[in-house]
Amino acid sequence: MRSALAALVFLPFLAAAASGDSACAVCHAKETLHFPTTPMALAALTVERCDILQKHPVLQFQEGPFHTEIKTEGNRSTITVTRGTETFSIPILYALGQGKAGQTYVFQYDGAFYESRASYYNAAGGLDLTIGDMGTKPQTVVEAAGRRLTPADAANCFGCHTNGAVAGGILHPEAVTPGVGCQSCHGHVEKHAAAVRAGDVAGAKLPHLADLAAEDTLELCGQCHRTWAQVAQTGMRGPNTVRFQPYRLTNSKCYDVEDKRIRCTACHDPHEQLNPNLAGYDSKCTACHAAALHTKVCPVSKENCVTCHMPKIDLPGAHHQFTDHQIRIVRAGEAYPN
Amino acid sequence: MLVCGRALAGLAGLILAVSGVARCQDNPSPDTLLHHALELHRSGDFAGAIAEYRAYLKQVPDNAMARSNLGAALAHGGEFKDAIVEYQKALELQPANLPVQMNLALAYYKSADISHAAAELERVLTERPGERQPALLLSDCYLRLGENRKAIDLLTPFEQQTPDDKAIDYMLGTALIRDGQTARGELLVDRILRDGDSAEAHLLLGESRVWAHDFAGALEELRKSLAINPQLPSLNGYYGTALANLGDTEGAEAALRKELALDATDYAANFQLGKLLMPDDPTQARGCFARALGQRPNDFATRYQLALLDLQDGRADEARAALESLTHENPQDVEAHIALATAYYKLKRKHDVNQQRAIVLQLNAERQAGGPGGTSK
Repeated sequence: MRSALAALVFLPFLAAAASGDSACAVCHAKETLHFPTTPMALAALTVERCDILQKHPVLQFQEGPFHTEIKTEGNRSTITVTRGTETFSIPILYALGQGKAGQTYVFQYDGAFYESRASYYNAAGGLDLTIGDMGTKPQTVVEAAGRRLTPADAANCFGCHTNGAVAGGILHPEAVTPGVGCQSCHGHVEKHAAAVRAGDVAGAKLPHLADLAAEDTLELCGQCHRTWAQVAQTGMRGPNTVRFQPYRLTNSKCYDVEDKRIRCTACHDPHEQLNPNLAGYDSKCTACHAAALHTKVCPVSKENCVTCHMPKIDLPGAHHQFTDHQIRIVRAGEAYPN
Repeated sequence: MLVCGRALAGLAGLILAVSGVARCQDNPSPDTLLHHALELHRSGDFAGAIAEYRAYLKQVPDNAMARSNLGAALAHGGEFKDAIVEYQKALELQPANLPVQMNLALAYYKSADISHAAAELERVLTERPGERQPALLLSDCYLRLGENRKAIDLLTPFEQQTPDDKAIDYMLGTALIRDGQTARGELLVDRILRDGDSAEAHLLLGESRVWAHDFAGALEELRKSLAINPQLPSLNGYYGTALANLGDTEGAEAALRKELALDATDYAANFQLGKLLMPDDPTQARGCFARALGQRPNDFATRYQLALLDLQDGRADEARAALESLTHENPQDVEAHIALATAYYKLKRKHDVNQQRAIVLQLNAERQAGGPGGTSK
């Protein structure tokens, strides 16, 4: 009976051996159950799967003399930019970002990928200038439609928003699977799956990410959310850095490179939806700050810690307030701490 | 002119000096050996001449001209190390012999020992400040050593005296552009272009775009230069650099290898190729950086890349030592402090990690406030 059950379990696994993340689900059901609905899994979407485009068949944006329209009909969305009698029209390949804050579009033209100059912002309920394009002025209808990405830029975009498309720093567009997948964090899952199928226990070993120290976890997550080093190298300061959570968390007074209680995964399970219940994070704070541990405890409140100690910061142009991960005692009227 | 004219005169003089001397084939006299060496040298039999010079010098070790001629014959065959030894001995005998000094500089230059070549050329120019050829060669040495300001100071008087000298314009333009003095550099490019399209001028414009981080613009200029003269020194190196920065790693690697096929010691091509190979082939990358350091022994940027390579290879303590030294040399360098923080983390030196990070944040604050915290790479 047991071997029959085992065979039943393994049959779909073998059948799905070449189908990417679905193969992982056979053994890792708990981790993969809710993952497809997480913001990471939805970091890139085809037009067909993009709720925003499907719910907004026509989106419009005016920038000086350029008029941008994104029109969706069924599984096809097209960006059209007009200036007087000039028109440039191109189909959208992918929507990047789930759209909780914003969503930017990618198209291909003249042998290169382009990032749309207009992005959808949830709070605004429509299009506005893509955050990285502020301070530039388009000269042509193509430039008004999007920014041409260098191969390195494109590899960076697809490397984080999609799965399995970048190898050795080079983008292979034919291999794009939209959204973050298992191998984005866990590495060579095919090799792991093949070793499991072959009964090769040693070969099946993958790095156990749950064992990582705070610094190593932040390095891993920072590959897409930006590491402390990446942000520090740019010299960036001010509210723009609020988008880069590993950088901000590292700057926290309570950050400790070795302490697992202050790593990203202490609060966020990457396989699950983000927890919207702020009180749900209290236990993460009290894991360190508790009278029983003889550490500093908050004299003001014992609950909803993050509402005060991780304030929401308005990022100009982003139509969204980001949670500042630089955990601190916030004082009234203080400037954004760098 | 300085080298060839004097050397030939010396050679002829020696031939005259030993002519008429009786020969004895079984036990040749020193004069016979020298005469024969000179004959062989003149006829192009360098191997024969070297043997005869050596036989002569065993008997008459203090003949500076014979030492110098032996050095020239050795250099002709690519044996620069031996040639350098002979030139040095010749100079010990005749310290004020400028042609020998120049030949010694050339031997150093050809053996890719640029810093010694520069030192010898500086001595030549101290004696003959107006000599164009050694000045051009010395400016090339300065450029290879990354000492752009010295090249500018050296060539500016020449450019003022002979404004139509294209070689001077080209070298000075290169130095100015590499020093960030783009406007003045591009004036010289215009002067070069005045007489028609030129590979050198497009290279200079391409270089200036690379320095300004306009890599797409640089490619346009560099392609024009490649179409005219694909063998131009540094051209493929800059082309590769532009491609690398635009993410075309395969094209970049091919271009950089072309540059290195033309000049295996080229600093910039070795440095850039090393950076390109770092993630996938650290051993080859290390070799490239070692060759770059051969050209610029104390180069900050190359030593920094080697430290990153050590970090990548798990040699945290070696990386720490190198980075501590780099941050000591240039405390304002943000990237070195960042990498040092990583090295300390790998070595579990938590307090030092925090200290380095605090320094970085302070430097970035100063940089934003217009302070000194820039980067030297």
